[in-house]
Amino acid sequence: MSNKFFQPDRSKYPSMKDDGTLDVDLSSQKYTKIWLGPNHPGVTGNMAVEMTLGGDEIVQAKTHVGYLHRGFEKLIERRLFVQGFPTSIRMCVAEPDTNEYLIARSTEELSGLTDRVPEMAEWLRTLALEMARLQGLLRGVPGQAGTYSLGIGVQWGVYLRDLILDRFEELTGARVYHMYIIPGGVRGLLPSGFKRRMEDNLTDIDDFIVRIRKLIFHNSVFKSRAVGSAVIPKEWIDKFGIVGTNARASGVKRDVRKDNPYLKYSELDFDPPTATDGDVYSRTWVRWQELVQTVDLIRQIMAKMPEKGDIRGDMPNALHWKIPKGETYVKLESGRGEYGMYYVTDGSSKPRRVNLRGPSYTHAIAVLEKMLINTNIADVHATMVSLQTCPPEIER
Amino acid sequence: MKQQTRNNKRINIITMNIKDILTPFTAWSKVVQDPVTIKDPLTREAAPRYRGFHKNDIDMCIGCGTCEDICENQAIDMVPVEGVETKSGDSGLRPRIDYGRCCWCALCVDICTTNSLNLTNEYTWVDADPEVFIYTPGVDKKSWDDKEDGWQKPVPNYHFYGQKRVHMGELHADERKDSFIEFVKGYSKEQAEMEADRCVSCGICTATCPAHMGIPEYIAAVRNDDMEEGMRILYETNPLPEICGRICTHKCEDVCSVGVNGDALSIRWLKRYIADQIPADVEKYNEILYTKDIKKNDKKIAVIGSGPAGLSAAYYLGLLGYSVTIFEKLPEAGGMMRYGIPSYRLPYDQIDKDVDYILSIGVDIKYNVNIGTDITLQQLNDDYDAVYAGTGLHLGRSTRIPGSDHKNVYQSVDLLRDIVTGAPVPVEKKIVVIGGGNVAMDITRSMARLQMEKYGEVNVIATALEDEEHMPADREEIVEAREEGCDVIPAYGPQEVIIKDDKVIGLKVWKCLSIFDETGFNPKFDESDERIFEGDMVIESIGQGMDLSYLSEDIKAKMEFGPRGRILVNEDWQAKGLPWLFIGGDIIEGPDVIHGIANGHRGAMSIDEFLNQGR
Amino acid sequence: MKSLIERVSTKYNLQEVVQQRDNLVFAYVDKELAIDMVTYMRDYEGYAHFTLMSCVDWIEDGKFQLLYLLNNPETKTEFGIKVAIDRDNAVMQSAHHLWEQIWTYQRELKEAFGIDFPGSPRVDEDFVVEGWDDMPHMRRDFDTNKYAEETYFMREGRKSYDPATYMREKLYPKQPVTAKKNKDEQ
Ligand code: SF4
Ligand code: SF4
Ligand code: SF4
Repeated sequence: MSNKFFQPDRSKYPSMKDDGTLDVDLSSQKYTKIWLGPNHPGVTGNMAVEMTLGGDEIVQAKTHVGYLHRGFEKLIERRLFVQGFPTSIRMCVAEPDTNEYLIARSTEELSGLTDRVPEMAEWLRTLALEMARLQGLLRGVPGQAGTYSLGIGVQWGVYLRDLILDRFEELTGARVYHMYIIPGGVRGLLPSGFKRRMEDNLTDIDDFIVRIRKLIFHNSVFKSRAVGSAVIPKEWIDKFGIVGTNARASGVKRDVRKDNPYLKYSELDFDPPTATDGDVYSRTWVRWQELVQTVDLIRQIMAKMPEKGDIRGDMPNALHWKIPKGETYVKLESGRGEYGMYYVTDGSSKPRRVNLRGPSYTHAIAVLEKMLINTNIADVHATMVSLQTCPPEIER
Repeated sequence: MKQQTRNNKRINIITMNIKDILTPFTAWSKVVQDPVTIKDPLTREAAPRYRGFHKNDIDMCIGCGTCEDICENQAIDMVPVEGVETKSGDSGLRPRIDYGRCCWCALCVDICTTNSLNLTNEYTWVDADPEVFIYTPGVDKKSWDDKEDGWQKPVPNYHFYGQKRVHMGELHADERKDSFIEFVKGYSKEQAEMEADRCVSCGICTATCPAHMGIPEYIAAVRNDDMEEGMRILYETNPLPEICGRICTHKCEDVCSVGVNGDALSIRWLKRYIADQIPADVEKYNEILYTKDIKKNDKKIAVIGSGPAGLSAAYYLGLLGYSVTIFEKLPEAGGMMRYGIPSYRLPYDQIDKDVDYILSIGVDIKYNVNIGTDITLQQLNDDYDAVYAGTGLHLGRSTRIPGSDHKNVYQSVDLLRDIVTGAPVPVEKKIVVIGGGNVAMDITRSMARLQMEKYGEVNVIATALEDEEHMPADREEIVEAREEGCDVIPAYGPQEVIIKDDKVIGLKVWKCLSIFDETGFNPKFDESDERIFEGDMVIESIGQGMDLSYLSEDIKAKMEFGPRGRILVNEDWQAKGLPWLFIGGDIIEGPDVIHGIANGHRGAMSIDEFLNQGR
Repeated sequence: MKSLIERVSTKYNLQEVVQQRDNLVFAYVDKELAIDMVTYMRDYEGYAHFTLMSCVDWIEDGKFQLLYLLNNPETKTEFGIKVAIDRDNAVMQSAHHLWEQIWTYQRELKEAFGIDFPGSPRVDEDFVVEGWDDMPHMRRDFDTNKYAEETYFMREGRKSYDPATYMREKLYPKQPVTAKKNKDEQ
């Protein structure tokens, strides 16, 4: 707990050596080892933190992943180019569409067919990605308060997210794993009446995000727990490779949508929010602002996208598509930050290597393990959620 | 490393006040509102596009198995289904889905060649027995079979393979109608690869091809730009690829899966493309096809006729090591391919290319030999271990209408042959052709060219009994004939050749209402719709008959004949009653080149079996 | 980007330089120079953000290709430094001192490809597949299908017929035909 007045005498705590090892004698009974997860409502997904505690403070933490490992990258290596995307989505439950886009874009780029993706499909891809961000944030922002047992916002968020999932369902044919962005384009136009229903939902969300702000950011419990907690100093950003809102909340403005614009982002008007303090409060606040911004982006997209158009360009036969030897790294800004894919082809009909670079790869291991030291055990969930750690993108 | 988290960053005694205690209570305002939860989640209808359980229209499905190929989870098996017959264009198999593996991606729907497969938006199915979650949609009845909503192949312009055939370059009608040079240009490498890319490798076409050629396999060779492999695949079932690549009736294209919702693959042109890539050099052929040193056996086979059946039988017997001699009545090899098909469709050098290679593997040919007069069939039986007869249909059939015995009424087969041999061919200013088949189109277009040469204009009428849709000629033949200025008039039946002052002046025809009734061929005419087609000569082209004069009476006596004088054979193409005589070509099946090739191949295998019996 | 490529090309003897996009370059550098170059790029060329460390198994050449993907937040460009290392002697100098997250990558590469990085913290700890005792699972020669067949049981009663073969058996069992090719080769 970020109690400002009581500070324990730190001299009695063991300190970590530079190689990350810690000299604690568990048999001395001064220390306890407990596992948080892999099956615990408080951890983000199925991961575990192996914690060594001195009292209720953490002296060492180790992240364990692997509970979701199904070898997706390897499986994609054994599939045709068109067959990859239904598998890829499982590498990120929170925003599955990001994987679909990366696979599609990589294959298009490496076969030199990016020009064939129709304008309409580009807009629909942008829309799908922003919808994905929106539903992720609707879960994540109130979810941060949830880690301090402020549950009402979570319930609201889940309700609002379900509204977006309804829209996903009618656009893509599925609620969570959409399988919508396919190499060459997308798999469907907007159904008739979609924009009107989406606007209704956005109005509803507008109302709720204001309420959520009142509930969370003008809340003594949240403030006393989140302010000053789990701080990411600005120097850490490059040192640890921190990206996305985690970096922006520490005053480093990085956003792939702005830095290396893709899809239709250069035609949209937005400015990624930032903060300076780098604590849980700042990160949540940046994300709340992004929530507002995403709603606005979706409105912009719906206003600017053409009414009609092709959804997929002429691509080689899905069964025989071969891509010449080559490699690329394609990235986008997901709700958790830069999300990229290293894609290698070897001239055959299947990729040679697919390597996903998810933001949690650093956030959930190097950063988290470092940050948890000397944290009170009650703040672990909040820290994890504030870093948006997500195991499937680590283990893939 | 020291702990840095919250110790070094102290909060500037945060601005907390009474508001922060009270504001959260605004949430209470929602207490009095209606709940947003769905009252009855079990009956919630999914969105119209939802990807739920599969359904399949099994009458539309052709069992091509393409859905199985695209499924990344190997959730689909192609299985036989009761009540669905295996026939040309339908494998009789239907997809069965294993829901232990399916991820409901609907790629199978997106690629389905017939659009028979869909996902409905039904998504609840509860059962205590896990084994039920494997089923054949459309066959195993499900409650969602009649649901309209669900995932269908997206629109617009969403395809997993090319829908449009790569256009084949041709000489324009004005450039081609005054000469006999070949007018179909053939694919370039890029065009061929693009066309080959459209194939879904299902193999449905293979069953329909009379020679059962490895079509998806050689199309794959085009995609991989491996022409030598392509040649080897072609020659496994067809020793006349240059010829077939030009004039095959391509029945395979009628059943091509890709053709169900788009243009069928240009299977014939791709075959031609492969053969065209290999230069006319028998050495090279021998090298590619591994036929340099064939081990000879001591058996001798006589083949009568060097048409497709004879050549095919000779080639495959030659491959097996037999010493084969072909006896040909005419001065050059090829039979109807050379003497019946005009050279603008099939140039002579292409026939030579195929034939030269066949001769190069050690097949012998004797020209200008007439069986029955120059040498008897009995003699062949004495000198050879077996005889293969592929003698074809070379006699024109007459309509026998009044006036058809006039000297200016000709048979198309005779004229076509004369054009090739260089014999004088009468070319009048106005010509009427009777017949709607491919041979009729051949003579129509050939006469048009000769008219162009002689008079500088075309004036040919071709009249068929059948209506436009049912004319037996290939569609493209009719279209091209018209492009070249010929008048193709369907649905009129010839009644009389009108003769005035001993000269043919035209053909009287009546509108044809129907051709067949219960008794068979029995055309009905509307006499009130009578027309006269003006013409100085009439050419009959209503089919050909066989000339079996080479069979002597005592040999005939041992054989069996069916209706219309057909020779009866057993399933190995062996003449009933004469075990050493094998029959093939148009006199058995067809008439067309590819059937001849197929039964020539089968005949060769049967001869091999026959001669090796008891070994 | 052009001048940068020229500058480092001569300095580090880069090979197979490919500019994949305006903002993305890949190049091979000798194994001995790699970490030096990565450090130089970080300290002098502004490539301060480390994006990704990855490996491709070119089993046919007997090589692993390591990738250090660096990002320059100022110029918004990425530079992929590639190193070929011997598959039989898969050892690489550790770079964990350069960025805090590198040891995680190196630990993963040790587990997934069997590449050793001596001195890298916790490099021998299991990462994703705890208790794994087979060949490193991301190597090309690790056969996932075989592994699945040996480890799990397949559903009984599944059998599929190839349409062309099935039609042949039904319709023309005696006609000589082309041998069926493996679909992959098509
Ligand atoms: S929906 Fe996808 S996984 Fe299921 S059977 Fe079809 S292709 Fe296979
Ligand atoms: S792809 Fe369509 S037509 Fe072919 S087998 Fe599957 S369901 Fe039937
Ligand atoms: S040519 Fe048509 S029917 Fe034949 S394998 Fe290709 S797609 Fe199937």
